Amino acid sequence: MAPITVDAVSKAFRIPTVRRDTIREHVFGVLRPQQFHRLQALDSVSFELRAGETLGIMGRNGSGKSTLLKILCGVYPPDRGRVERRAAVTPILDLGVGWNPELDAVDNVCLIGSVMGLSLAEIRRSMDEMLAFAELQEFANLKLAHYSSGMSSRLAYAVAFQAVREVLVLDEIFAVGDAGFRQRCEERYRQLHAKGHTVLLVSHDPRAVTSFCDRALLLDHGRVVAEDTPRQIAERYVSSLTSQAAGV
Amino acid sequence: MTAASLAASPVERRPASARAGLVWTLVRTDFKARYHGTIGGFVWALLKPMSMFIVLMAVFSFLFASKPAYKLNLIIGLFLWDFFAEGTKTGLTSLHARGYLLTKAQVPSWILVVTAISNALITLAVFWVVIVVFLATFGHVPSPAAIIAFTAYCLAMIAIVIGFSLASSVLFLRYRDLNQVWDVVVQAGFFIAPIIYPLDILPERFHFYLYIWPPTPVIEFSRAALVAGTMPTLRGHLYLAGDAAFCLLVGIAVYRWLSPRAAEYI
Repeated sequence: MAPITVDAVSKAFRIPTVRRDTIREHVFGVLRPQQFHRLQALDSVSFELRAGETLGIMGRNGSGKSTLLKILCGVYPPDRGRVERRAAVTPILDLGVGWNPELDAVDNVCLIGSVMGLSLAEIRRSMDEMLAFAELQEFANLKLAHYSSGMSSRLAYAVAFQAVREVLVLDEIFAVGDAGFRQRCEERYRQLHAKGHTVLLVSHDPRAVTSFCDRALLLDHGRVVAEDTPRQIAERYVSSLTSQAAGV
Repeated sequence: MTAASLAASPVERRPASARAGLVWTLVRTDFKARYHGTIGGFVWALLKPMSMFIVLMAVFSFLFASKPAYKLNLIIGLFLWDFFAEGTKTGLTSLHARGYLLTKAQVPSWILVVTAISNALITLAVFWVVIVVFLATFGHVPSPAAIIAFTAYCLAMIAIVIGFSLASSVLFLRYRDLNQVWDVVVQAGFFIAPIIYPLDILPERFHFYLYIWPPTPVIEFSRAALVAGTMPTLRGHLYLAGDAAFCLLVGIAVYRWLSPRAAEYI
């Protein structure tokens, strides 16, 4: 049975023309009704993530990829439709953020590892391995406030790769670090794939999708407009970018 | 949200050990970030109500010289109030402060709210001991029944603070000046609750209104049990239990209503 089934999922955001974030603004604006733009981020999206496969999702900025990932991971609720998750999902979303700057790397790893479902024993056992993977052993006791965005992102990958139970959801795989780090990420990905883990990969990079995915989808304006081999989807994505640039 | 999507909410497959680890890590890292991981840092948190107690006792014990138990009542009122004020303020901003965890993965967000008041809870536990020792030092050794009753009143206060925190934490994501409003309410509430003055200096017809403010019955009942040695009536206990249950249930209801979309407001 498919670890994840997405059935006719829709999601819209109401974007106010003028934001009201305070009680004061709501009280003073009570006689001026708010106006909203409706942004349809996802429109009846359906697909299955099959056991053991790597599914790629491509799409231009604003096509709904990030919203879809957040719904799949349970961060956002859908407006309509249903997502059935039959396996534990480990996401890598919003890289570079999600840390407490007042804590050092060790405590942050405990925090994020716990959020991702690792037990404290598992975290302690694999702490050295995670820090080594991110090449941050020397900075283990440095507060994250002093980390660069690249260091934070490497740490995020290290924790998430360790936390994978069944399904790994990746937003822009291997987009961080130097060539050596990217190579280690790719190697780790291959190990997970060989062990039969299921992966959902969102990327703008045609090389990543054609190299790592078994199947791919193309999203456009919140809809799945194509489902094909990674090569076909990558070519269609690149041609859509080209026609956009040409104003077609 | 439709019934279909509610039914489709993903089942969380978080093992119990991982959930316990999450709670412990949140409590430990919160303590570490706030007090730099030292007992010395924690002592500063205790000094605030302590110094307040010394100043108020020095000033108001002259005013209420005819009431020998004034200082005992004052310390009970101040320490319980400190827990209420600190707990609600921290709880209110908890989801916003820990929003970076909400957008990372599916996490039981109520744990983020409840563990945010852990520091106030630790302080309350220390105050509990300080109050009992202070009373014993001044010749008011509490009976076992009084200690049990005081513990129950503290639990009622914890339920009130958790209920408030659950509701206010999700509302704060939508109304970003709620913390400023609450600061004003807390400042006024300090004088509405009979902390620095004995309740009986006010006409009895006003007492009912003061008891609507949740900290009032907790403080008054604790004083009655620990200092006066008299137990409040059954009706009084039922009122406090109902008050705490009401605050907790309303907090849970508001939280359940608004929390599914909390991550969209981070």
